[in-house]
Amino acid sequence: MSKGLGVWALALLLGVLIPGTSRGHALGPFPWLVTALTLGLCLALAATTLFLVERLGPVLAARPPLALWEAIPDLLWGALALVCWPAAWGPPGFPALALAFLLAALPGELRWLAQTLPRESPFPAAWGPRAIRISRRLALRSLLPRWLLARLPLWITATLILERMLGVRGPSSDWMMRLAFRDHWGVACWILGFALLWVLLQREGA
Amino acid sequence: MRLRLAFLLALLMPELPLAPFRAGWPCSWLHPLGTDALGRGALLRLLHASARSFGFASASTLGALALGLVLATRRGTGYRTPLRALPPLLYLIPLAALGDGLGWWGLGLLQAGLLGLHLEPPLRARLGPFLEGPAWRYGEVLGAGRLHRARTWGPWLWDQGAGLFPSAWIGAIWCEATVRTLGLGPGPHHDSLGLLLQEELPRLATDPTPLGWGALFVALGLAAASKIRPQEQP
Repeated sequence: MSKGLGVWALALLLGVLIPGTSRGHALGPFPWLVTALTLGLCLALAATTLFLVERLGPVLAARPPLALWEAIPDLLWGALALVCWPAAWGPPGFPALALAFLLAALPGELRWLAQTLPRESPFPAAWGPRAIRISRRLALRSLLPRWLLARLPLWITATLILERMLGVRGPSSDWMMRLAFRDHWGVACWILGFALLWVLLQREGA
Repeated sequence: MRLRLAFLLALLMPELPLAPFRAGWPCSWLHPLGTDALGRGALLRLLHASARSFGFASASTLGALALGLVLATRRGTGYRTPLRALPPLLYLIPLAALGDGLGWWGLGLLQAGLLGLHLEPPLRARLGPFLEGPAWRYGEVLGAGRLHRARTWGPWLWDQGAGLFPSAWIGAIWCEATVRTLGLGPGPHHDSLGLLLQEELPRLATDPTPLGWGALFVALGLAAASKIRPQEQP
């Protein structure tokens, strides 16, 4: 843990000392509205995943169609959103991003959670559907914090790609923009955020 | 793995010659997908760009595997876990933006480094029991140098790592395609699948070309092929 913290401290130092003049003021304020919408989107994704995994159980992880759906990278979902978006509706904004993000992230999340659920055969399967439901609910409740912490970086990556493809200024592309514009303190805040995520994940795993 | 490594030769291929006077020709027997805006046969360009991308992915995956093997045979991983906390693209895209785009060498080296870090844990899980056993220590006890051990155990270690090659290779292709599609990769003078996607994807909704559909088809085919046979995930 201490070595890891040392690496984050070094990253923080590098973030503050990026060579070049800071042009952070050209970026404007942080996109709070899109951030709130993105958080809502992540909550919708989490709720849908939990609902489906609770209903369908660990067998979901072995379904070949899910694997095929998961194989398509975020980039192609963004492309699909671009292709399918009717030109008459104007530029694809947050709605197209939300659709592409849900399509890109859902299969991976379903498989991750379904694979992590404990086996149900012979027990609690032998005790009936109610016991299975209770067992799944308890397992999901204990998995929830670790799942969210482990998958959040992947959601940030997916939204970063989609935001850049669909021309939406959102929280994930803000990380890239702060670095590109050499906004030292903005970059430092992002690195601190990632470090906090890592620390929480380490504590959760311990 | 050998087939994928054969694509390394594609990196030596020259660029296709430009012939602007043949630009935008429709599909014909000579050019089944027509020609692109610079007069190159679209089918030939699709094959050339795909082979280039596959070769580039093979090269960076080889580097990643070599790095992963070196890291997996060393003790202590503490300082590397934070670097693995984020997916490679979450580093690669902002770093590319910081440098106003990455050249082939920069992209390849960064990609190999980041993928190598992610390959370390599965390699360590495979090699761990052996590295803690007497056979590995034997050479150390007898005073054999690193070079000798690399020569003795290198082929076996490489065989152990080869199982992870296909999934890492697909990861490398998506990294390159994503960075180039987002406009942060090498310049337009080197063709690749990512460059094709960057040029053709925005046009698909309004002004689609057979080349654009072909590039999308190749990308979707790659995604599907990566899941038809179950592979080991790094």
